Amino acid sequence: MDHLLTLLVLVPIVGLIPLVLFRRDVRAVKQVAVITTFVELVVSLVMLAQFHVGEAAFQLVESIPWIPSFGIRYELGVDGISVLLIPMTTLLTFIAVLYSTGGSIKTRLGEYMAAFLLLEVGMVGVFMALDLFLFYVFFELMLVPMYLIIGIWGGPRKVYATLKFVLFTLAGSLLMLVGIIAVYLASGDVGNRTLSLPELLAHPGRFNGNFQFWVFLAFALAFAIKLPMVPFHTWLPDAHVEAPTAGSIVLAGVLLKAGGYGFLRFALPLFPIGTQAWLPILILLSVVAILYGAIVSVVQKDLKKLVAYSSVAHMGFVTLGIFVLNQQGGVGAVLQMLNHGFVTGALFLFVGILYEKTHRRQIADLGGLANTWPLYTAFFGVFVFASLGLPGLNGFIGEFLVLLGTFKFDPANGPGGLFWGPAAALGVILAAVYMLWMFQRVMYGTIREAYRNLPDLTPLEVVCAVPLLVLTVLLGIFPQPAIAIISPSVQRILAFATDASQVVLK
Amino acid sequence: MTGSDVLAVLPEILVTATACLVLLVDASLDRRSARLWLPVVTVLGLIGAILSGPFVIASHTAFGGFIVIDTFTAFFRVLFCILAIFATVVAPEYLSRRSIPAGDYYATVLFSTVGAMTIVLATDLITIFVGLELMTIPVYVLAGMARKDRYSNEAALKYFLLGAFSSALLLYGFTWLYGISGTTSFVGVADAVTKRGFNDGATLVALALVTVGLAFKAAVVPFHQWTPDAYDGAPTPATAFMSVAPKAAAFAAILRIMIGALGPLGLDWSAVFAVLAAVTMTGGNVVALVQPNVKRMLAYSSIAHTGYILAAVAAYKAGAPASAAVLFYVFAYGIMNLGAFACLIYIDLDGTRGATLDELNGFARRNAGGALAFAVFLISLTGIPPTVGFVAKVFILGPVLDSGLVWLAVIIALNAVLAAFYYLRVVVHMYMYDPDTNAPRLLNSRLLSAGLGLGALATVVIGVVPDSLYRWALQAAVPFIR
Repeated sequence: MDHLLTLLVLVPIVGLIPLVLFRRDVRAVKQVAVITTFVELVVSLVMLAQFHVGEAAFQLVESIPWIPSFGIRYELGVDGISVLLIPMTTLLTFIAVLYSTGGSIKTRLGEYMAAFLLLEVGMVGVFMALDLFLFYVFFELMLVPMYLIIGIWGGPRKVYATLKFVLFTLAGSLLMLVGIIAVYLASGDVGNRTLSLPELLAHPGRFNGNFQFWVFLAFALAFAIKLPMVPFHTWLPDAHVEAPTAGSIVLAGVLLKAGGYGFLRFALPLFPIGTQAWLPILILLSVVAILYGAIVSVVQKDLKKLVAYSSVAHMGFVTLGIFVLNQQGGVGAVLQMLNHGFVTGALFLFVGILYEKTHRRQIADLGGLANTWPLYTAFFGVFVFASLGLPGLNGFIGEFLVLLGTFKFDPANGPGGLFWGPAAALGVILAAVYMLWMFQRVMYGTIREAYRNLPDLTPLEVVCAVPLLVLTVLLGIFPQPAIAIISPSVQRILAFATDASQVVLK
Repeated sequence: MTGSDVLAVLPEILVTATACLVLLVDASLDRRSARLWLPVVTVLGLIGAILSGPFVIASHTAFGGFIVIDTFTAFFRVLFCILAIFATVVAPEYLSRRSIPAGDYYATVLFSTVGAMTIVLATDLITIFVGLELMTIPVYVLAGMARKDRYSNEAALKYFLLGAFSSALLLYGFTWLYGISGTTSFVGVADAVTKRGFNDGATLVALALVTVGLAFKAAVVPFHQWTPDAYDGAPTPATAFMSVAPKAAAFAAILRIMIGALGPLGLDWSAVFAVLAAVTMTGGNVVALVQPNVKRMLAYSSIAHTGYILAAVAAYKAGAPASAAVLFYVFAYGIMNLGAFACLIYIDLDGTRGATLDELNGFARRNAGGALAFAVFLISLTGIPPTVGFVAKVFILGPVLDSGLVWLAVIIALNAVLAAFYYLRVVVHMYMYDPDTNAPRLLNSRLLSAGLGLGALATVVIGVVPDSLYRWALQAAVPFIR
């Protein structure tokens, strides 16, 4: 099992072959897609089982030259952060594909499943790539399939939404590409240049302050758009509203995480001076995202938009946790990414199920559904409570740790943790307001006649929801194993990011 | 002339012979068998030319120093032959549909290819000028090959007038260079220019004239005005060929003259080229944004690509990687742009010029393979991995940043976003809209589909494993290292 990570890249690609061969047979297409994503899930769990908990460095590393004349390597590896994000990715993709076999996709199913498999290659690749160039390739590889998924199988304004999504993302990532090449050129003399993260980190101090200031900005723009941070978030509500349910699950669950992950994996450790320089602005934007996302969520009339804006707020916690640059914040941010993946993925799943049955997404058109759908209400309720951060469910742990880290944040100048902490905590309260209010209006009150005879969850939908529910509860009451895996790696990244010798250089 | 001289230009001789053979076959066979055999003869001749390349001993001059065979020549010979093969394979159905004389088409493409190959042999101003003319005159004919189509006539006339004008400018520039140095060989010119330095009136005039002449040939803004009409009006397979081969040859000429002969002045003109590059890519992209006709849009976008390549020329201070980036990009651009234009052949039926965006509605449902190939070419032109277009952009950005032109790198990145908008809009129309009920019938050609499939495959495969091509480009750039 030396090439476990390469196997993760290859499984979906291999799955494409039978998919293309049997593309005309809908049943076969469904079977191939479900089996492929399931195998991928199993492989990722094997990977998790092989991971040595407590070690901070990269494990299961594979490294071979890819473009030797440019010093680019095919280099994969996982640490405590990615080793959890990858199973999350494969699980959410599996659920998205499984749910899509239920009949919500009516046209061109073969191409749809092919897009999902290609997307999965990009997503798992992003979390494993240790070479900056390879990372960029996977980062962009996620773009085209998602563009097609929104654009072909999306809602009425799909073309507008998908073009906006692609152009926003590309604008950021192309500037990052310039940054990556700048890193390559600055990494050493001709013939010695590299983009391999372990090699770059082995000899810190090769980038001067001015260089770090600008290149960090280029990286940060790409990640901030992907995440998205306010004010680059405007593509997100459109993309989510128009995307098919499975697309939303993966978009919110996985694609956004690529931004937060990018900050942690590359931007922070490579550019400690740049991080320090941009820190105040990024923290301000994070808190603004938390409050703005929450306030805008309160007034949303469309269920999907509400969940989308709540994602903006949740991602604000992720960046806040990252940029307070301490252990609690960092671990909290990673946990928040995981939890947001499971919970928001589930919320989009349930909004999608609701829409399939009622063909309504406007909150005002719904109501009283608890009477006819006890099972749905129970599941949905748990995820809503997890999303607003109820203790005992997973949402609480991440936000709590981030807030703890924020209160401890103590910069040399500018407002410190005692200013940002309460502001961010306000977002948690607002989350309770919009989530509970939404739940009350949708599930309680008087039911419309038209909805009285609608069926409750189908077995397929229950199968999709149960793994998410189990993880939501499990991570909520027993987060310690996850924290044990994450902690050493976060500590290592923070050691690079706050490397005194570098930061003082400024 | 000795035997080794003849051997040195064996590929060129083979292509010329093939062109003559095509004319003979065309005259002697009846229509139906000619339709079958002409492309076969053309392709076989070109493959023969590619294979004969390695028999020529590398890096020596021939014909008394008028030509040189080096790694640079070898690279471009193969590229031009591949492009000519591609342009041959996609054409037959279109030609017979529009009753364009097939024999003339293939022969013209071959003659133009010989011209392009002559340019890369040049080590002398006269050779390079003869090569340029031998390449462009057949292309004027190609543009006007649909004799009864007035747009085709317009294309040919415009292209001819402006082409002749630019040739005259270039030639005038060459006479100044001759006046300065008293010789037409690149080495002599380089020596003379080095002696006189940059602050010399005559050198400046020569430099300006040569730059403008070559800028016309490569379609650099503001010398690009002939491009959209010429590309738009010409028969689509001809457009596909003339959008890539003459451009590749123009850049070969730019490298040969600007770095080979005028290299000593390099520091001073690289700034001019950087500005021209920025203006060209931005101008091409902005105008392409608003084009409803895909053929015209691709014409403008090809101007934008000129800008990207020019950026690498401007970055020549970075040494071999800069020249290698030009070569790699020209190669990548050749395949993907020829492929993109050729994809229009499916829709480009009687009485239409190219295809409008609306005519492409639902193309993915009507011809899944063709749409996929088109999408791959467009994504590659945009510069999204894992395609050759992406790697080519990376190879350009490297030297551009390395030579300190950070602003140009940022402009390239932003331009790629602009380009993404209009390229991906085509994908939108192909994949995300339903076909119109009264949409015209599509061309059904196995040969076209096979050629495009192969091109798309190459686009992705070279995009994933670009190293060997890049190494080859680096080798080919060796003659320009000083």
